[in-house]
Amino acid sequence: MAWTGELARRLRMFFQRKRFQEELEEEIRLHVYLRQQERVDANVPVAFAHSAALRRFGNPTRIKEESYMSWGWHWLESFLEDVRYGTRSLWRSKGLTAVAILSLGFGIGANTAIFSFLDAVMLRSLPVKDPAQLVLLGKGEVQGITDSLNPTELYSYPFYREMQKQNEVFSGVATMLSMMNDVHGTVDGRGETELMHVQLVSGTYFPMLGVPAYLGRTLTDEDDHSEGNHPVAVVSYKWWQQRLAQDSAVLGKKVKLGDTTFEIVGVTAPEFFGTKVGEAPDVWVPLSMMTSVPPLVQGYKDYSASSLYLMGRLKPGVTMEQATGNVNLLYQRIQLGFEGSKLNRKQRVELEKTYVPLSSIATGLSSLRGQFSEPLRILMVLVVLVLLIACANVANLLLARSTARAREFAVRQALGARRLRLVRQLLTESLLLAFGGGALGIALAWGANRLLLRMISASATETVPLDVSLNPRMLLFTFGVTVFTAIFFGTLPALRATGLELTDALKDGRGTSSTTSTGIISKILIVMQVAFSLVLLVGSGLFLRSLIHLADVDPGFNKEDVLRLQTDVSSAGYKVDDPRLTALYQQVEERVSGLHGVVAASYSSFTFHEGSWNGSITVPGMPEVKDQNVRHNVIGNGYFKTMQIPLVAGRTFGPQDTATSQKVAVISESTARTRFPAGSPVGRHYHIGGMGSPWDMEVIGVVKDVKYGSLDEKPVQIDYVSYAQREHLLNDFEVRYTGDFGVVSTAVQQAIHSVDRTLPITRVTTLDEQVSRSITQQKTVAQLSTCFGLLAVFLSSVGIYGLMSYAVSLRTNEIGIRMALGAARSNVRWLVMREIVLLVTFGVALGVPVTLAGGRLIANLLFGLKGADATSILTAVGMLLVVAVVAGFLPARRASSIDLMRALRYE
Amino acid sequence: MSRDEIPPGTLYLLILKTLALGGELHGFEIASAIQRGSEDVLRVEEGSLYPALQRMLIKGWVVAEWGTTAGNRRARYYKLTADGRKQLEVEMSQFERVMGAIRRVIQMA
Repeated sequence: MAWTGELARRLRMFFQRKRFQEELEEEIRLHVYLRQQERVDANVPVAFAHSAALRRFGNPTRIKEESYMSWGWHWLESFLEDVRYGTRSLWRSKGLTAVAILSLGFGIGANTAIFSFLDAVMLRSLPVKDPAQLVLLGKGEVQGITDSLNPTELYSYPFYREMQKQNEVFSGVATMLSMMNDVHGTVDGRGETELMHVQLVSGTYFPMLGVPAYLGRTLTDEDDHSEGNHPVAVVSYKWWQQRLAQDSAVLGKKVKLGDTTFEIVGVTAPEFFGTKVGEAPDVWVPLSMMTSVPPLVQGYKDYSASSLYLMGRLKPGVTMEQATGNVNLLYQRIQLGFEGSKLNRKQRVELEKTYVPLSSIATGLSSLRGQFSEPLRILMVLVVLVLLIACANVANLLLARSTARAREFAVRQALGARRLRLVRQLLTESLLLAFGGGALGIALAWGANRLLLRMISASATETVPLDVSLNPRMLLFTFGVTVFTAIFFGTLPALRATGLELTDALKDGRGTSSTTSTGIISKILIVMQVAFSLVLLVGSGLFLRSLIHLADVDPGFNKEDVLRLQTDVSSAGYKVDDPRLTALYQQVEERVSGLHGVVAASYSSFTFHEGSWNGSITVPGMPEVKDQNVRHNVIGNGYFKTMQIPLVAGRTFGPQDTATSQKVAVISESTARTRFPAGSPVGRHYHIGGMGSPWDMEVIGVVKDVKYGSLDEKPVQIDYVSYAQREHLLNDFEVRYTGDFGVVSTAVQQAIHSVDRTLPITRVTTLDEQVSRSITQQKTVAQLSTCFGLLAVFLSSVGIYGLMSYAVSLRTNEIGIRMALGAARSNVRWLVMREIVLLVTFGVALGVPVTLAGGRLIANLLFGLKGADATSILTAVGMLLVVAVVAGFLPARRASSIDLMRALRYE
Repeated sequence: MSRDEIPPGTLYLLILKTLALGGELHGFEIASAIQRGSEDVLRVEEGSLYPALQRMLIKGWVVAEWGTTAGNRRARYYKLTADGRKQLEVEMSQFERVMGAIRRVIQMA
């Protein structure tokens, strides 16, 4: 490689350039000496011989220069010189440098932080083979289990097998349970149970993704051939690291989940975290074992139980359209094959109308994405605005500074420095500032990312497994932003500073022509800052008010003074149809209710914001209601008392409602209104499911509506049934208490363990906390946008203060003359303030239309607001005015307290 | 006695050829050898030798080593490398092509 050798030689010359210089000088000295000797030997006088030798040699300085250029490092050399000079000159104006670096640091830091999340949640590809070929059937927006006839989001295991067999477009098909199982299992025979995130996948999952094993093997189709007899597990690298301390003898170790013992057969590749961004399973188990892994989901052979995500890898050359066509064709065929004979005409028409969309999952599935992609995009826009404001600030500072340095530049230009050279010098200084800001920004982002992760995590103890650590992509982004900012804020001042009328500048350092146009540019920058700040302020105001509206929503239950926790009954070995369950629930409720400080306690399948169990109900004599499922909740007798949900009519559950008595239900007001429009529903009957279903319920009471999934949902229909009449794996346990949370919490947990020592207790928190967790997204957005809004206002006020101070110092002479001619101090003050008010007015005039347009874009994220309204805009304008006036007041006072004589003598 | 400046672009060729004949030489010797070889017709502006040598060092056509002269002074001796020899051939053929072309043009009349 000729050029690598050359590069190496060049590099050596660069690093030893001092030595090379000296050697060259020595060579030249020798040459001249020898030539001189030649003459001296020919009897020429020494002095004469020396000058003759020199003449013959040529100009040594030029020759040294030429050699030096031939090394090809002069540009770097002069760049380093610029850096040295720039550092010195920045160091001399420490205040300015600090403000500039801080402004940029916040701007760049905010950008880097938000970008890291944007990247992690939305942009980064899955760490698997050719992720671009991966597609999902459906949109991946739903999780859970459904018995609906024509599901297009979730699929059954038999459907997966049929699709795998019949398709012509995929080189591989795999499936996974749409929910991750949180199991309390025992590892390697240790006594304590520990929480494990278990993901059930098909045997084809790892081969299809192309994920290799780090140790042992991954799962194969062999592990998934027949139900119930493949107790094998693959664990994640991270879990192996954290829980087994990277034990090299991990293969063959046992993990007990529920009452089944699994053998660990492999550890996955370190970079693989699963296929769902924001969820990192610890353990993967084949779907053939689904009924053994708590919470014991059924349906390996049941085509009517759809709970799986179905994904495929496109064969090379197959387009999305071809795949969609083939999948939909097969969908009809497979569904008809399952249900065909049983379908009535109407259902057949329904099936024909069903369409399965395919979506790319190159970046993985994610429930975080649905929740955060829009907010993240909006936040990204906000932080770009903040950065622009910071840039404007720095540009303004540099403009002021370059005007102050006009004499320096004039001198340098007069001495022969080319303009380009000076521009380069100034841009180097800008780059230095930008890189200072960039470094600070990365440090800030590093901290902010940790904080943000905690903010968006649903539980206090476990943060969302998202990789937002420093990575090349993020650093590249930050580097790009940094260089962009340097160019953005540096070019204008550099061009201005060097485009001088030399004679003017040399005369007094402040040519009148340059100051006025500098003033105009600065003012434009301030107007821009004000406009952007307005947008940010209104935005944050809207998000804040929306959050307050949300927090004010009455959930229908009393969220104060309720402790709630989960007991993982399935991990403790209880099965769905376990006859001991009802007794367990009742004992725990009784034991806890008897505690000091406990008002009421109850089990339930849900409280709030925990997913849902939906189903259709049928009221005899009423027309079928389509697409209006009822949300079911299985509860204990004390539930309404614990949650303080008011009873409107009839009664709630009591000891008389047993497994053998008439099945009874309590319904919500909305259910009553929709399903029983005429007369009181109490005493009337309905069926859960169709008319033929065995669940013939008698309505015994009506309660007030409550929020079920989220605070911003419309009233939903709910029915409650008693766990005494419908066996169910209940996890939620609620306790209404008085007094100290800590004391009650300890007592409650002890009471539960006194009933069953092995029952794992998790997620101990308050109902209030749980409700507030449900608006995490809104809270995060409101807090962040408020942060950014305040930052923007702060930066703008620094900008206004700087500009005004500078303007006052420039106009000292003028102000002196005005005052000498009789202007009152208040007039002078008004002179300055008027300018500020004018600037803010311009900024607002520019910002309002932008704000109105922007408000429409975020309307989707707002609750109880339709976009930017008069209140939010007026508040923001008022705030901006106050801040601007305060920022401008100091310079204005300084202007008005100018000493007359000094001012007149000023120039 | 009038001396002629060397045609542009031939300095490398002259240096390479001189080194090919002379083995290890320092700058002064190279300059003198060129002058002698041309029977005092060609004269290098002696200084310009050095940037050329620097460039040749970077290209890897020559390597340099410090040694002592007959007069017991430190001097940098240059030596051709294999690359340098190859380059000499390239420069030679190029020179002959150019000279041949020039000759053809001026003999046309």
